[in-house]
Amino acid sequence: MPNTNTENNILHAVDGYNDALLHQNELTKSGTDFNEQNGRVANTIASLHPKRIQLVVSEVIVDTASTKTLRFKAEDNFLPPFQAGQYINLFVNIDGTETARPYAISSAPQERGFYDLTIKRVADGFVSHFLLDDVEVGDHFQSTGPMGTFYHNPLFHGDDLVFLAGGSGIAPARSMILNMIENTLLINKQTNKLGARKIHLVYASSYEADVIYEDELKNLEKEHEFLTVTWLISRPTKNYIGRTGHINAQLLTELLGDDLELFQSKMFYICGPTSFHDFCAEQLQQLKVKAKRVRIECNGPPKHPEELAGWPENLIASDKVTVTIHKADGSQGQFEARVDEPLLNSMERNGYSAENACRSGECSLCRVKVLKGSVFNPAEARLRSTDEAYGWCHSCVAFPTSDVELLV
Amino acid sequence: MTDFDAIVIGAGNAGLTAATALQRGGARTLLLERHNIPGGCATSFVRGEFEFEVALHQLSGMGTEKSPFIMRKIFSDLGIMDQLNIVEERELYRVVMPSKENSSISGFEHEIDVTLPANIKALKKTLCAHYPEESESIEAYLTLCEKLSLECFMMLPRAQKMSDQKILDSTCPNYIKYGLRPSKDVLNEFFSNKDLKAVIAAYWCYIGLPPKDIPFCDLAVMIYAYAAFKPCHVQGGSQAISSALLESFLTAGGKVLFNTGAAKIITENEQVKGVQTEHGDIFTCEHIISNTSPQHTFNELLDIPTPKEAADDMKSRRLGTSAFVLYLGLDCTPKEIGITAASNFIIDDRDEEVAFDTMQGIKDPTHTMLTCYNHDDPSFAPEGKSSLSLLCLQYGQAWQDLPVEEYAQAKYDFAEKLIDHAERAFPNIRKNIEEVEVATPLTMMRYLNTPGGAIYGFQQNTQDAVMFRDRISAISGLHMAGCWNGMGGFQPTYMIGESTARAVLKKIKKQKQSEIQQQELTHA
Repeated sequence: MPNTNTENNILHAVDGYNDALLHQNELTKSGTDFNEQNGRVANTIASLHPKRIQLVVSEVIVDTASTKTLRFKAEDNFLPPFQAGQYINLFVNIDGTETARPYAISSAPQERGFYDLTIKRVADGFVSHFLLDDVEVGDHFQSTGPMGTFYHNPLFHGDDLVFLAGGSGIAPARSMILNMIENTLLINKQTNKLGARKIHLVYASSYEADVIYEDELKNLEKEHEFLTVTWLISRPTKNYIGRTGHINAQLLTELLGDDLELFQSKMFYICGPTSFHDFCAEQLQQLKVKAKRVRIECNGPPKHPEELAGWPENLIASDKVTVTIHKADGSQGQFEARVDEPLLNSMERNGYSAENACRSGECSLCRVKVLKGSVFNPAEARLRSTDEAYGWCHSCVAFPTSDVELLV
Repeated sequence: MTDFDAIVIGAGNAGLTAATALQRGGARTLLLERHNIPGGCATSFVRGEFEFEVALHQLSGMGTEKSPFIMRKIFSDLGIMDQLNIVEERELYRVVMPSKENSSISGFEHEIDVTLPANIKALKKTLCAHYPEESESIEAYLTLCEKLSLECFMMLPRAQKMSDQKILDSTCPNYIKYGLRPSKDVLNEFFSNKDLKAVIAAYWCYIGLPPKDIPFCDLAVMIYAYAAFKPCHVQGGSQAISSALLESFLTAGGKVLFNTGAAKIITENEQVKGVQTEHGDIFTCEHIISNTSPQHTFNELLDIPTPKEAADDMKSRRLGTSAFVLYLGLDCTPKEIGITAASNFIIDDRDEEVAFDTMQGIKDPTHTMLTCYNHDDPSFAPEGKSSLSLLCLQYGQAWQDLPVEEYAQAKYDFAEKLIDHAERAFPNIRKNIEEVEVATPLTMMRYLNTPGGAIYGFQQNTQDAVMFRDRISAISGLHMAGCWNGMGGFQPTYMIGESTARAVLKKIKKQKQSEIQQQELTHA
């Protein structure tokens, strides 16, 4: 509090001391105790980056035999804004197991009333079956706020965009395209000129029946000059007419021209299954596209960590280890886990949890400390340089390679 | 028995330091942090191949291995000094005022372009070489800064402790004459060249107020201490310090909860009883060290109305500045964009009050700061690349007033202006961007939980200083530690954490002694 006991203070001799005291008096008279601002910080943060959103399913749209779009509204009718390409992490409780999965928002950022999540069945998946088979209009969910770094950044991405989408990787592409349409309309209204930005979507699917948003995208391509779509089917039926095969360097030069200098001014977005990412990234490397012109959306932990470089010799995927959990309140627990399952997943199945969002090693929300034992951190784990020295790992992509004790 | 002797709210610099010192001092301590990592400002984040430093520009108070200064001792006492790889910086800073004409043509001579070395003798020499007509004043000014610094470190605290006027008069003559005068007045008294004044006062940015509102002792100590004890950096960034502190805390037996903010400070008869977390858990304790703002602590967390003492204190304070920061990972070497010093101030006007005026809203930046982290520490960026932060101070209000739908666009628009500004001194930043993250005052607010996204706490004008304040003791067992009750920045917040812990440990010891005495009495 302001200095009340000033009479005997020796500092009165200091030039400027009394002036400062006078100034303090003035300030006290005209100032406030800040109580009028209570709640403002929390509300401001929550309006942009809420920790949790309470959602309710307002519509279930069947896209294909293997895909549905779930439309979510906010219980309190307020959804925070997002940038096209970002995701939310959707929390679910499946038969008592609390877990979550991140899904890119496939609706336009200008759509303020709902978020669309486009969910494709994952053959050996856990959450996708639940979302596709058991969710009905009116069901309630919790999610994180919108997150992620996979979006068009106008500071350096430029206006010449190429999106390589595989399977459900179309979801963020749809949001980006719808966003460009809204922006083009805006630019047209303001300046009567066309927006300079263009996007070439190369959309690869396994089967014809799997193609999501086919009609919508075809219509949009007809209506909007800035959009070009190339369709690709890797396992076509006999009568399929159209491009088949995979996205590779040859196809890219065929579609985008063979002036590799021009490639450096494009921005490539890659979203799809992990194997798709790796393959596409390799093809772009062959074309000498620099790392700064390629954005890859993270997409879950590696499926087969035992096949990656750095995996301990003699450790078989089906090996089991004991995981001991130490909680800050002093309580402990123990369970068995396979070495090829991410720690976060086995923790959740056994009733433990860590905050999480990207579940792909990037956001670092799920970090836990390895007190004893060892874990395998794949390249997906975007660890800070000092993490490993102190045993911190991102549990969503960390695999226990021995019995481990964790501080959670 | 309570669950803990002490609970620390917030793992910022002061909170981490306090928690570590408490636990190592034998107090059972719980550390609560609402985010997932320790450090508050002192953190890093990863984008692509880059790990960006969030807030540390130049760590002060370290000294060298041969002549260590106070921060080395504090870090040693906290058990982390041997974990840190300290990098000494070669320059204090470079000040560039780009030419107004033809500024797009590279190679055009700047109006001001001065680089100050991190060495007292060389500093004098450099300034005299640039401004020979003011050599004598430069000599006298820097001598005054040195004397004033020594008085502030050594003699003034002693005179205050003894409350002896004569000792003050005889040992602190420079402090009496200059210490609390507005820096601008002192600069005007010594110098007439406007360029020189702008160059020598550039560190005002680290306080966030123009020199007219900063007591001279603060500005003087800053330039002297940085030149004498060297600006430093730490390999791995400030996150390395935070991670080491947390490890030391845990090794000593401390408990930490991440993703767990405090929701309520529970009291009984104006005595601390415990803390309720955002998840609803209640932990009891004797002492709470709050590393969050007094606004949040007293107005929002405390379970009773704001005590009058705290309310009166806040009435005399004014909210300090926030910052707009671009974290830039470039696909080129520092040399390729003309970087020759780690810290750079790029100014459009010699008058700092012009800058202070532009800080009030989302206006074209006139004073920016560009830090290149791999200039002195090549390990800080991948080979052939650069890790930069480009910053301008800015208050948060205008950003809070924006509709949420306009936020992202406003952010990019302002970022473009910041890059334009910096490119006049360091061309080709934009075309080399590999990664960029934009932080607005609202980003600061999100990660620091401070009103207005304040980064240094309250405005640090003269009357804000500790010497004008009594300790707020309305709630027994509640202690404040952080930038809000003293200076902002790294060294001050580490030091306040350490000194707060020391005071709390003393109280705990006393309490325990009196408990033992009472037990003995009852047994006798």
